[in-house]
Amino acid sequence: MNIRATLGMAVAATCVAGAAIADSFPERPINMIAPFNAGGGTDLLLRGLAPHFEEAIGGDVFVSNMAGGSGTVAASALQGQRPDGYQLGYFSITVSTIQPQIKNVPYGVDSWTPICSVAASPTMLIVPNDSPFQTMEEAVAAIEGAPGEYVFGSSGPGAMTHLTTVAAFAGMGVLDKIRHLPFQGSGPAVKELTAGTIQFFGDTEILLSRGDFRPLMVFNDERLEGYPDTPTASEVGIEPPLNELYLWGGLFAPAGVPEETVAALAEACETAVGSDGFKEFAANSGTVINHRGPEEFDAFFRAQYEANGALIEAAGL
Amino acid sequence: MLSHLPDALALLFSLEGILVLIFGTILGIVLGAMPGIGSTVAVAIVLPFTLTMGQSSAILLLLAVYAGSVYGGSISAILINTPGTPQSAATCLDGYPMAQRGDAGLALGWATVASVIGGLVSAVVLVFAAPYLAAFALNFGPIETFALILLGMTCIVSVSTGSVIKGLLAGMIGIFLSTVGGDPIIGEFRFTYDIWQLYSGFNLLAVVIGVFALSEVFVRASAKPTGVSELVDFRGVILPKLSAWRGRLRNLGKSVVIGNVIGVLPGTGAATAAFISYAEGRRSSPNKEAFGTGEPDGIVSSEAANNAVTGGALVPTMALGIPGDAITAVMLATLTLHGITPGPRLVEENPTLIAAIFAGFFLINLLLLPLGLLLSRVAAPILRMREGFMMTAIVILCALGIYFVRGNPFDLIVMGVAGVVGFLLRRQGIPMAPLVIGMVLGPTLELTLRQGLILKDGNFFAFFESPIALVLAIVSLVALALPLVRAVLASRAAQ
Repeated sequence: MNIRATLGMAVAATCVAGAAIADSFPERPINMIAPFNAGGGTDLLLRGLAPHFEEAIGGDVFVSNMAGGSGTVAASALQGQRPDGYQLGYFSITVSTIQPQIKNVPYGVDSWTPICSVAASPTMLIVPNDSPFQTMEEAVAAIEGAPGEYVFGSSGPGAMTHLTTVAAFAGMGVLDKIRHLPFQGSGPAVKELTAGTIQFFGDTEILLSRGDFRPLMVFNDERLEGYPDTPTASEVGIEPPLNELYLWGGLFAPAGVPEETVAALAEACETAVGSDGFKEFAANSGTVINHRGPEEFDAFFRAQYEANGALIEAAGL
Repeated sequence: MLSHLPDALALLFSLEGILVLIFGTILGIVLGAMPGIGSTVAVAIVLPFTLTMGQSSAILLLLAVYAGSVYGGSISAILINTPGTPQSAATCLDGYPMAQRGDAGLALGWATVASVIGGLVSAVVLVFAAPYLAAFALNFGPIETFALILLGMTCIVSVSTGSVIKGLLAGMIGIFLSTVGGDPIIGEFRFTYDIWQLYSGFNLLAVVIGVFALSEVFVRASAKPTGVSELVDFRGVILPKLSAWRGRLRNLGKSVVIGNVIGVLPGTGAATAAFISYAEGRRSSPNKEAFGTGEPDGIVSSEAANNAVTGGALVPTMALGIPGDAITAVMLATLTLHGITPGPRLVEENPTLIAAIFAGFFLINLLLLPLGLLLSRVAAPILRMREGFMMTAIVILCALGIYFVRGNPFDLIVMGVAGVVGFLLRRQGIPMAPLVIGMVLGPTLELTLRQGLILKDGNFFAFFESPIALVLAIVSLVALALPLVRAVLASRAAQ
């Protein structure tokens, strides 16, 4: 082999390598933004997911926190970023579909490239164990008998805990006969549920394992395995779209991410969410895994955005 | 639970257990001393590392970092007038003047001993009184919390050095600043002018560091150079002599009780406890006049109370499964990840682990003393840097800390503006502590007032049907009226 041929081959090899590098995503670290403080549920979930995502995509991934405004500060910041796939946010149903419809934030339904959904848990209407109400009918009868007497709590206006109780009582037609007491975060609200200041609260299954509480109904399409005696909202008589409510969350990038990049991210997400390590993490943290790919998630997200409009109207937000 | 103590101690006195306690406490003190990195952030930083550890080591590491950071906050408060955490803001009031006077070592000594005693007593309380205290916390609803915060607001009068009118003005500014952002009841944005960075309101830590630390830098920069290069003369902690405690023990005891009780109540926190304790200390101290000028009682009130909160805050967490503050919420999340369900049955189901946590918490507070002495010895040479370097370092540290917490560049602007405004207000003789009290207590005052009005159909006077609220309101009124009555009596006597 002469020198020229060797050189030629070397040049060709460099070109091929160069092309491969240009094609390969990611070239630099990917930033996953948790829109809440470090140590919260969303933050923990993202930190549980990140190492598996890192392994699947074959590049560095780091989690950063940008808290404030019920998650809207992070989402507002992300919507203005370059859609190159290096900036992702983990947004819940409230950050992505509720907040933009009740607040004047700079993002809306068209601001995002949905990548994948990661988790979803149906919410429940919850009472303390010593509550006099065994069924929804008893609760509704009591509320109708004493308008303004009963109080439901929430972790804040527009939060999932608020919308769950609104869906319950608007669905039963007694929302104007019961008072709403918002708290700052779930902790103080749960304390008042134990103390009896509030009689009703709405949250996911996780809360039930943390105290002496029981569910009156579940906003799911079927009864939950762990609670076979708890009726679904439809069984109790709540009409769509208020009968199903899930606390879901997934990865979003700003609108306009190139298709190949979306495909690479979505594939990594699917692998990561399906990994044994993440499944173990989910089992420990009470996370209900619910994976959707980009197209499916996009359709789901848009349908949720529409459906939650009805809920927001009922809540008077 | 005591029957499980031997097993628990075996867990603690393993090599891993001891290393975790020492390393965690050191890390907590260092992180707490850094301006901007509060206890919540310090705990969150170590959280990812705990995921690979065993149950007891994970929780003990978090506890050590938590207790260490609360103490560490007082170091920077005293030495450079920069509260490392909001709960140390009250420590600045007397700690820094004392340091300026040349007694920095002694000021830190008072803070160290008060912190250790506050923490130790709260650890004992945690072990023996947790179930009873948890039941007491359940009696404290929104209305009772409102009355308690009202009492806290009376601190504004006692920390207003110079002119009470100017102090009240500063307090009003603080309360106003706290109303910016989302309305807590209906969710509407207030005073945000469509600037989304303001949706979550002003970052408390950014404002606190701006008005205390940055304004101090400006004050020094604008002063004529004196030729003295050292900031404060500091060569290590000097523990106060036993005889110096004479007449101060009652204040210490009262501060520890205040810290414990307030720690037990969810949603109030260490900053509130420190200020309420400071005000009570000043009201009842024989050295009342010296408060604000470097009075050890002021340091003791603040530090004993804020460290006593740590044990108190664990009470509802352990006994009810309800986090008392953001930090205990992180701990509950960690328990969950390790397959332990927090809740009313936590103690029953995991007696050994809980005994290890309680005993470990006691040990951590004991460790604060030697580790605090050691670390401040290491820190001392840093403070002998030239003033210019030191000031630059303070500004950089503050900026890094503030940016790190929320990753929001806007918070840096808030800190800068707060520094400039604080500087201008201080030149007019307007004290900064009431502003911070207004900002710390404002949100809870508003939330609980409006919650109470929802519960009582808008009838404010119905609040005082609650005996706890009535008593607290009367105490507030007395606290406000006593100085006036005394002044009138004194002037009559003079005539």
